[in-house]
Amino acid sequence: MLPTITVDDEKCGDPLSCRKCLLICQTHVLGLGTSVGVKKYRETDPQYFVVRGVRFDKCTGCMDCVEVCPNNAIQVSFSEGGAR
Amino acid sequence: MCDWCEKYGDGYERWYFNPANYARRLYKIRREEAESSGAETNPQAAGGMAVIGPDFQEARDQGDLEKMQEIKQKAEAASWLTHFGQVITLEEALKIADMIYPIGLMTCSCRRSMQGYPSEENFTCMGMGPGMYKWERWPDTYRGGMHYLTPDEAKEVITKMNKRGLVQTVFTFGTPYLAGLCNCDYPDCAFIRTTVDFGIKLLWKGHYVAKIDPELCTGCASCVSRCQFKALNYSPSKNMAYIDQFQCFGCGLCVTECDQGAISLVERAKLPALANVW
Repeated sequence: MLPTITVDDEKCGDPLSCRKCLLICQTHVLGLGTSVGVKKYRETDPQYFVVRGVRFDKCTGCMDCVEVCPNNAIQVSFSEGGAR
Repeated sequence: MCDWCEKYGDGYERWYFNPANYARRLYKIRREEAESSGAETNPQAAGGMAVIGPDFQEARDQGDLEKMQEIKQKAEAASWLTHFGQVITLEEALKIADMIYPIGLMTCSCRRSMQGYPSEENFTCMGMGPGMYKWERWPDTYRGGMHYLTPDEAKEVITKMNKRGLVQTVFTFGTPYLAGLCNCDYPDCAFIRTTVDFGIKLLWKGHYVAKIDPELCTGCASCVSRCQFKALNYSPSKNMAYIDQFQCFGCGLCVTECDQGAISLVERAKLPALANVW
């Protein structure tokens, strides 16, 4: 069964330095991306990093990431029959 | 024979020993727009999911084999044309370090995206060739900066990574242009993970297969933790290590760890059933 993993980017300010959810996940489901493109001569500001459930097929539904998030930005749910 | 050696080997023993595949003429100037609109900037592409979207995981969940096969073929074709890797042995990596200049030590984008490692803890990736001179143009790709290495320094770093348990790999950037010498592990390397978890071959197996000498193996199991490909376990009933040779990627990490010299690498090409298992 596949989960629906949603992250509220407004609440999740600087995941690159927080990384609590990335580190707590047993199966390394979560990953970082950016909401802006790679720019020439410029490093992406940490505020544009976002967390997504990239490897969501390995999510066991333990909810550790939901609980560890200091900003309550992560939601994980499983619904019968509905994939994500 | 390995497809890539056949296509790009040009008489050399391996395609990654052919200096032409590192040559400047193959280096493509990075285009601003094409790259910034590409999958690599898509959040869903984090962790190197660039060529595989969630639809594969959904198709697998639904048991839709046809869809899975379709996505797999498309993803592999795209990857093999632009960016894919092959496992090499420590010895081969050291040989490459002597062939190519410059070599730059940089941070690993896979580990940054999967674990958010601070740059100073994340220098495990190596870039090679003319592209390295342009790194300052793309500070985000080279987040954390770049340390240029002499061939001897590069060999020292690679040997240290191997000791730590990281697998040596080469990567194309516009096949057959080789510009990446990486040191990878499961589960944070996007290429190992996609290949092992999904059976989508973004990382080709190497030219060797590990083999255990039952006379020499003492069952100490020190090799077991070295395998990043789920190909090696300890069998209590035999009191010996066991290698699934069909799953073995031929990296040789278990070989370098064995104090008894009980594990050796044999050439994939010499085993008829494995010769085309890449």
